Amino acid sequence: MKIIVCVKHAIDESELKADSSGKPELQDARTKMSSFDRNAVEEAIRIKETKGATVTILSLGTDEAKKSIKEALAMGADEGLLIQCNPAELDTLGTSYYLSQAIQRKPVDLVLCSEGSSDTYTGQVGPMIAEWIGYPFIGYARKIEIRENDVRCEQAYEDRVDVSEAKLPVVISVVNEINEPRYATLIQMLQASKKPIEDFRLESLKGSDAPHTQVSVIDVNVQAVNRKRIIFDGEINEAAKKLADALRNERVIKS
Amino acid sequence: MTVLAYSENSDLATETFTASRELANQLDCEALSIQLDELDKSIQVNGKVAVLKSERHLSGNPDLIVTALSNLVPKLNASVILIGATRLGRQVASQIAVRMRVSALSEVRSLKVEDAKLTGVRAVYGGRFTAKVSSGIPCVATIPTGTYQKNEGSPTSVEIISLDRMSEKVVHIETRPKIKGSTDIKTALIIISAGRGFKKKEDLLMLEKLAKRLDGAVGCSRPLSSDLGWMGEENHIGLTGAYVHPDLYVAVGISGQLQHIAGIRDSKIIVAINKDKQAPIFQIADYGIVGDLYEIIPALLKYLA
Repeated sequence: MKIIVCVKHAIDESELKADSSGKPELQDARTKMSSFDRNAVEEAIRIKETKGATVTILSLGTDEAKKSIKEALAMGADEGLLIQCNPAELDTLGTSYYLSQAIQRKPVDLVLCSEGSSDTYTGQVGPMIAEWIGYPFIGYARKIEIRENDVRCEQAYEDRVDVSEAKLPVVISVVNEINEPRYATLIQMLQASKKPIEDFRLESLKGSDAPHTQVSVIDVNVQAVNRKRIIFDGEINEAAKKLADALRNERVIKS
Repeated sequence: MTVLAYSENSDLATETFTASRELANQLDCEALSIQLDELDKSIQVNGKVAVLKSERHLSGNPDLIVTALSNLVPKLNASVILIGATRLGRQVASQIAVRMRVSALSEVRSLKVEDAKLTGVRAVYGGRFTAKVSSGIPCVATIPTGTYQKNEGSPTSVEIISLDRMSEKVVHIETRPKIKGSTDIKTALIIISAGRGFKKKEDLLMLEKLAKRLDGAVGCSRPLSSDLGWMGEENHIGLTGAYVHPDLYVAVGISGQLQHIAGIRDSKIIVAINKDKQAPIFQIADYGIVGDLYEIIPALLKYLA
């Protein structure tokens, strides 16, 4: 079977700093494969290991995004595809459009993505890809069972787990509890550099139905933190008593 | 023109309706609460309601909901479709956007119409930053829980809209309920939350005892609900769970990953209890105790009579 995993090369949100005016320092920011995408890659490789499959990693961005593709190749994927563009110029409707165009050039049985990216977390691209192509979409899968011509999934919703089935080809988004992603060894990373990565030009994927970018980011600012940061240390009982008194003074608990 | 509001979660349905009313006022048009299959009396909506009916049961079936709502858009000349940002809601909103070829905003609050565009504010980069985003109209937007007031009252009118037969691509086989918590974290004034610092599930009894003493609700960080399954998903607070805004939030054994902090920023007072002095949770806490939670909770129980 053929699997495409969509991977985002994302800003590492845990390392992102604000400048003196409160704007994120995106120029020097560290980047990484979007955390939840590692689960989608892992799931594809597990399917490859148990059922046999070719795993293609698809991303959209500048050459920088090849870092994430290479990481996924080192984890065990077979080949990479990169849609060359400036991702900041596309909204989710456009991103999902071009990803779906690339997917349609490669006959595929399964498209995997994560529930959302770790940097901007819109959770839109997966279901949008399915809708552009007309494939069924199964969201928030915590378990995937591939069968002869269809797939059965457990979907983790807030208050329930739904068991659903759909015919292949299908788009599935996974939640991070589906598996524990592996880390590539140094040897795997060296071997991965020999695996092919094909480039697509954005223009070559643009059909007459390509959407215009409609969503724009006007302003990004650091969240102000105005907390007292009073630490009660020392003997536990004394600290607990001080905390209880402080909470009564704040009138957030009954005195 | 109409602003539509839908959520499968009844609390979020009324909050989403409040948002739709505010927008409808700005756009000088009507707000309409969309319900599926039958009128849900538990959804408080002081305004117009449309109940969508089909031969098939629509609730909980994303494919059918996408088709039903998309059919409604031209019929009602909908300019903005607001959907509660549950997992199902995010999926449905995204698919409607593509089907109707309109853009989509995800998890936005403080919605406004500015220069004929819809603007809103959303958390980005693990909740450490906020982005103001805008979209052309018509568009779809999802609304996170707890960002708008509940709408109170009863419907001023109820219209039944019958839809043609629809079919789905994903077949629903069965639903397994998850274990329900006792108190609702979204409305609680006091929340006591547990994180990885707890060694085993049974130890959460201590936490529950503390919550009970303070008449509060129990919450948790993502690992406890999703990886360990010690609590239900409805207790999960954070970027991918609920956003809460209690008067008092007590984080016990929670290190304070960005994803968790995103959900608790609007709390009035934050208390952190953690054995690691360097834990990021102390950076956003008003009060903290550094130490072993297994000693601190019993001590707190003693002084919080």
